[in-house]
Amino acid sequence: MIAAEHSLVIDTAIDNVWHYVKDIRQWASLFPGCRECEVIDDNNSKWIIKVGAGGLVKTVNVLVTVEQWRGPEAVLFSYQLESEPVVGGGVYRAVAIDKNSTEITLQIKVEGSGQMAPMWEAMSKPLLPQMAKSFAGKLKNSIEEIYGQKTAMSPGPGWLAALRQRLKSFWLRLVGQKIKQ
Amino acid sequence: MIRSLPQKWHLEADVVAIGSGAGGLSAAITAHNHGATALVLESSELVGGVTAFSMGEVWIPGNHLATELGIDDSIDAGMEYINNLAMGFSEQRAVLNQALHAPVALKYFEQCIDLKMCVVRHLPDYYYPHVNGSTAEGRCLEALPFAAASLGEWQHKTRVSPHVPYSLTHEDIFSNGGLANMMHWDYTVMGERMANDERCAGPGLAAYFVKGALQRDIPLLTGTRAEELISDGERIVGVRAVRGDEELFIKARRGVVIAVSSFERKPTLSRRVGLMIEPKSMVMDTVQGCHLRMAGEAGAQVARVPDVSMLGFHVPGEEQEDGVPLWRGALPFMGLPHTIVVNKKGERFSNEAFYRSVYFGLDEIDGMTQSYKNFPCWVIIDSQCREKYPFGSVMPGQEMPAELAVAADSLAELAEKIGINSEGLQATVNRFNQFCETGDDLDYQRGTYPWGAIMCGDPKQTPNPNLGSLSRGPFYAIALQRMAGGGITSSGILIDEHCRAVGWNEQPIDGLYVVGNSAARLDNGALMQSGITNARGITHGYLAGCHIAGKGSDLLQKALAERGEQQA
Repeated sequence: MIAAEHSLVIDTAIDNVWHYVKDIRQWASLFPGCRECEVIDDNNSKWIIKVGAGGLVKTVNVLVTVEQWRGPEAVLFSYQLESEPVVGGGVYRAVAIDKNSTEITLQIKVEGSGQMAPMWEAMSKPLLPQMAKSFAGKLKNSIEEIYGQKTAMSPGPGWLAALRQRLKSFWLRLVGQKIKQ
Repeated sequence: MIRSLPQKWHLEADVVAIGSGAGGLSAAITAHNHGATALVLESSELVGGVTAFSMGEVWIPGNHLATELGIDDSIDAGMEYINNLAMGFSEQRAVLNQALHAPVALKYFEQCIDLKMCVVRHLPDYYYPHVNGSTAEGRCLEALPFAAASLGEWQHKTRVSPHVPYSLTHEDIFSNGGLANMMHWDYTVMGERMANDERCAGPGLAAYFVKGALQRDIPLLTGTRAEELISDGERIVGVRAVRGDEELFIKARRGVVIAVSSFERKPTLSRRVGLMIEPKSMVMDTVQGCHLRMAGEAGAQVARVPDVSMLGFHVPGEEQEDGVPLWRGALPFMGLPHTIVVNKKGERFSNEAFYRSVYFGLDEIDGMTQSYKNFPCWVIIDSQCREKYPFGSVMPGQEMPAELAVAADSLAELAEKIGINSEGLQATVNRFNQFCETGDDLDYQRGTYPWGAIMCGDPKQTPNPNLGSLSRGPFYAIALQRMAGGGITSSGILIDEHCRAVGWNEQPIDGLYVVGNSAARLDNGALMQSGITNARGITHGYLAGCHIAGKGSDLLQKALAERGEQQA
């Protein structure tokens, strides 16, 4: 099994973040390479994704199932590729840092099955972190576009990174104001 | 061709190379090393060309790396091999020129761009041991893994290949069961190389040359399509190119090098010049044959050697990076155990484990009906094959997509579904299965060419790595489509020993050089040998780069004089 995790801070309240992510179509619209999302019911959807790997672009159908909607703090999901022996899952977590900022963490894992499992996992190894980072980054940008605040992405996990981010923003605002004066 | 000079040159260099595969880059690098300025035009957004799509093999008889391993070989043995297979379509001067300079060019690029190559151990020439001059190993070289991060911003602008597992070397693949046994490959190594972007095979080879160009600050102008040559009435002095909406007149003070591969993405040229009807292609969409148009307008001669169309298939949902459907060559899959290729009569027509046999058989014409005897054709496999071997990207354990393969529980049903002779197919399979028991293919000698056994067979299969019965349903049929040669073609521009284009008056055209797959294959005639194309590109680039910078090689003249004296 291959796993990847990416965290960042979104400059808006956790309820705003939840308002956005509780719609699975929003996830699909931001997922790298996703071309279509057919919502089957509240928990199940079928995504058509173009995945690029080493000069090859392959269209795959993915069945995505939300196992638990635990809004606004978490979403647990699983997925299965329709014609490839690959399954996976993941967790979305959100933590309110203060009333105007939320740290989200996206964990994704992938698991090949059958005798070619090592190959699927080897191919996923460099792709998965890129996907997690790209998806989380797009999520942040889209939500901040709607709710009006933007800051740079934070690579660090947990409350310490968030605190560092807040201090940096505060310092830049302070210095910027002085220069302006 | 433009015959009046433009009012303004937008760019200029001593050498303008058109195309960023090994041929164009090696010409630019060599010219630069001799004090000339160079720039490279690339019509796509990525550099590396067809070289980066290839297996990255470089075939050089008498190379020093084989000598260092104690392998007995010589350029004369290499020439003997070529001459025995060229069917009279090669020209001795061209054969000798390539044979002499390929080992020199190899050493040259090892020294100047830190190209790192090694011998692919135990990989014989195609026709070993059946043809004099062939060797059991030593001529086929490959690049050592290249750390692509060292390309900086060009890392993601340098092509990789959708066709080859470029995170593994030949050694990695063949020491773990070969192409047939993907489930036994070392995926830890593959995963690490992918994560670190260490490139082997064609992408690795191309990357060495891209880095060589970058280290010399040779501009690589991507998205810049060469349209026509510019002449001052006496020589070629520049190129008109288009970049987006912008028209560029680019001055080439010493010469233009055309290195744009073949014409296989242009159906009219494939039919008229390549004698192939709408072949599918595995190369990038920009391979449009602009060398024939541009050099032709300058009066260059086109020459042709016998060549074959190839066979391939398309797995639904697969594309190249530029969005065109991905076609895969059938070569590694046709000669596997539990696999045959049949025509409309349900009959085999070739040694499926040796692609030269299949593809020459494919072009056989029935003179009584003016039709191809063996096309259309189908790969027929059984469920044993599906359990053990990949077919393209369809791995063992995966269902064959219905758009790719027709499935049936019996051979009779399969024949009916695909519209071929049912009795013929059943009889063919019965006879083939008898051969599998003895290990002797009495009809087409599968397994008797070691190259085919290594490249298209399963080393774990006994007594013959290319034979296994078709005896367990369900059975599958995959219709094969004609494909062009992956940049390798029958026809190209005639060149002299310095790679100058030669006109219909047999004189070189001043200022115009043509290299690699764009040049006619008079140095090998009807022979094809994996790795010879990359070797030609690198060698031609070296020769053109030397001459264009005023340092043309005199090795051929010396050798001719020496050989003349010996004969006298």
